[in-house]
Amino acid sequence: MKHIEKGVSLRHVPADFIRDLNVDNVSAGIVAGLFGISASVIHVGAGTAAGLDSQFIMIWVIAYLLINGLFGLVMPAYYRLPLPMANSIPGALLFAAIIPVVGVEAALGASLIAGAIALVAGLAGVMGIVMKLIPMPIVMGMVGGVLLKFGLNMVAPLENAMLPAAIMILAFFLSARFLRRVPPLIVAMLAGIAYMAYAGIDFSGVELSVTFPEFIVPTFTLEAFLAYGLPLALILVGMETPAGVGLVKGMGYKQVPANAITAVGGFATMISSFFNLHSTCIAAPMTGICSSPEAGRLDKRWVAAVIAGAIFVVAAPFYGYVISLIKAMPSYFVAIVAGLALLKVITSAMYMTFAGGKHEMGGLFAFLIAASGLQILGIGASFWALVLGVLISLIFETKDFEFIRQVVHEPSA
Amino acid sequence: MRRFKDWSIPAVTAGFVAVLVSYAGPLAIFFQAAQSADVSPAMMTSWVWAISIGAAVSGIGLSLWLRVPVVTAWSAPGTALLVTLFPELSINEAVGAYLTAAVVILVIGVTGSFDRIIQAIPPGIASAMMAGILFQFGVGVFESLATVPALMIGMLLAYLVFKRLTPRYCLVLLLIVGIVLAVVLEGASLEGVTVQLASPTFIRPEWTWQGTLGLALPLVLVSLTGQFLPGMAILRTSGYNTPARPIVTVASLTSLAMACFGGITTVIAAITAAICTGEEAHKEPSKRYIAGVANGLFYLIGGTFAGTIVLLFTSLPGEFVAVLAGLALALIGAIASNISAFAARKEHLEASVITFLATASGVSFLGLGSAFWGVVIGTIAYNVLHRRLVGREDPQKVSSSAR
Repeated sequence: MKHIEKGVSLRHVPADFIRDLNVDNVSAGIVAGLFGISASVIHVGAGTAAGLDSQFIMIWVIAYLLINGLFGLVMPAYYRLPLPMANSIPGALLFAAIIPVVGVEAALGASLIAGAIALVAGLAGVMGIVMKLIPMPIVMGMVGGVLLKFGLNMVAPLENAMLPAAIMILAFFLSARFLRRVPPLIVAMLAGIAYMAYAGIDFSGVELSVTFPEFIVPTFTLEAFLAYGLPLALILVGMETPAGVGLVKGMGYKQVPANAITAVGGFATMISSFFNLHSTCIAAPMTGICSSPEAGRLDKRWVAAVIAGAIFVVAAPFYGYVISLIKAMPSYFVAIVAGLALLKVITSAMYMTFAGGKHEMGGLFAFLIAASGLQILGIGASFWALVLGVLISLIFETKDFEFIRQVVHEPSA
Repeated sequence: MRRFKDWSIPAVTAGFVAVLVSYAGPLAIFFQAAQSADVSPAMMTSWVWAISIGAAVSGIGLSLWLRVPVVTAWSAPGTALLVTLFPELSINEAVGAYLTAAVVILVIGVTGSFDRIIQAIPPGIASAMMAGILFQFGVGVFESLATVPALMIGMLLAYLVFKRLTPRYCLVLLLIVGIVLAVVLEGASLEGVTVQLASPTFIRPEWTWQGTLGLALPLVLVSLTGQFLPGMAILRTSGYNTPARPIVTVASLTSLAMACFGGITTVIAAITAAICTGEEAHKEPSKRYIAGVANGLFYLIGGTFAGTIVLLFTSLPGEFVAVLAGLALALIGAIASNISAFAARKEHLEASVITFLATASGVSFLGLGSAFWGVVIGTIAYNVLHRRLVGREDPQKVSSSAR
């Protein structure tokens, strides 16, 4: 256990939580929670495309919210850092695609092994090496490329919902400039809600329903492991943790428990595999929202992540109800709020990728590949963005790698 | 004749390489524009003729007159802009916008206000808009993986190898490898490629406000900031203290003449200029102008046989052109350099990112393209977020809240 970083403690969490609560981190936490729930459209989309039935998709998403939410309560509270937990989106795409091939039980067995690998990697303390292999500008290039989509989705409503989009975006900017007391996100949301109230929303599709996660026993096959478990383990260790840790560090936090994030994610992934869920890990977009300057003072942003986790847990059984509510709202609303919440994160990701003068080419390729959304061997763009970004940087910017510079300067005897 | 003594093989070679690089890379972007406008080969030939002859005449004239290696070309970011606007924009509207842009640049050139105007544009906004336009090409390379995986991977590998071994000839070699791959993998046939003399086609200009705001305005902006600014900077860092006025004036007069044949704005080259202004062109700076003249002469040849160039490009698959254009832009570092240019401007970074997002999103409404909206939204954001209001807030606080 010596590689697992020590956190603050769980003992005084309730009191500290109330002490650190403020408008900024509450609004960021709400946005992150809403964002995480609405991200389930990816699961629904990928699951439907793979021909999974809607009942399965339902218990999959509910397990996602409940299990990720529970770990998302503990991690930020223990470390007092904005470390919201969710699941791996590239992993979700892989998972949906592999189920028709190997079956749910075998896919979950592979998840279990992938989780165990991540747990061992975290316990063995290899994350320091992994993070050194993947330089910051390349990680941030990938993160920027992934998050860029949310920025573009924020601008896209200007085309067909110009008035509300313009109102929300302008409200955000004006309040960012003139009303520093009120979080601009809240102002933008209120402006959007005011517009929706004026324009009228159709709530006829909303209905109350309660569902709970279901227990399942995984089975193990080599095929499922090679096609899905191994890539998932690589994604968890090599992509999700570096992205999350990189983001939080980029926002100004010095000590980020990379090994613990990996180990806890691995352990939680093992539990997930008994409840029809493919993974639990730190999630870049939500981390971005919770750790961004929009979430208020640096030392209090952990509250945002706890709130996001709490929203997950509370919303989980009512997922069917919540999602029908979100669906009743015009699509631009969540898109714009999420885009605005991530704006500063996108900005600093691009700044860190392109303004440092190091690993510029690797960073550019990581950025472009992640933004392109390409898929190779069923694995999503963010993974390849890191792999190819590092590879290209190794070829062209060899000198920018710290460990290579060290080797060159201090040849081993 | 003293002039003949100045001719040297390295200078002529530099001029030749510059033309070859332009035809291998930036021309691919122009072809993509032509493809999205769905024009006939005869019309495309006229376009290539017009941009080549425009570059030839202005380049030879300026180089001989100023005794400086002035390399002119067509506005590469302008052609990238075209790709995003066609086919909603008609060719006639485009020509009208070319003429408007040329007149605006002419006025800027004659009045000598180039430097002042350059300073008035928030630098982050201009490079963010350009990065937004170019970004779509960069992403296009990776998106083509779904349709032509083997071709894309082959060209990407070739690009990486050549870029590492011979950065200077990378584009030319990439073009050759790309053509071979397209023939072998995609079954493209080069049988129809024959030697043809080009004949220009006259296009009637048409002025609409979509053309003026959507194309002419961004075209002026990207031509000034993306071509004239770096182009002049390259000349100056190579030790030529040439005033901007004659170059901007001659280039815009050439643009006026060539617009009706489909020639997009002629500008000073930024991508290929360095090939002709550096030491490789000639040891003696005073004799490098020959490279500029040779560059023009090779453009003259290229323009004369524009039909053959068009035949070559049209017999290759469209994805090939897309990959080549994207890699050409990545190669010249245009995407990265524009992103770093605005990323380095931390004081109004947020407005720049918004400009970038709006441009890259490709949103268009009221018939105007995303480049225009990028500038509009970016300028609004710049003024709302970053402009200092007298006596309101101290600048320190503004910049920290903008971060």
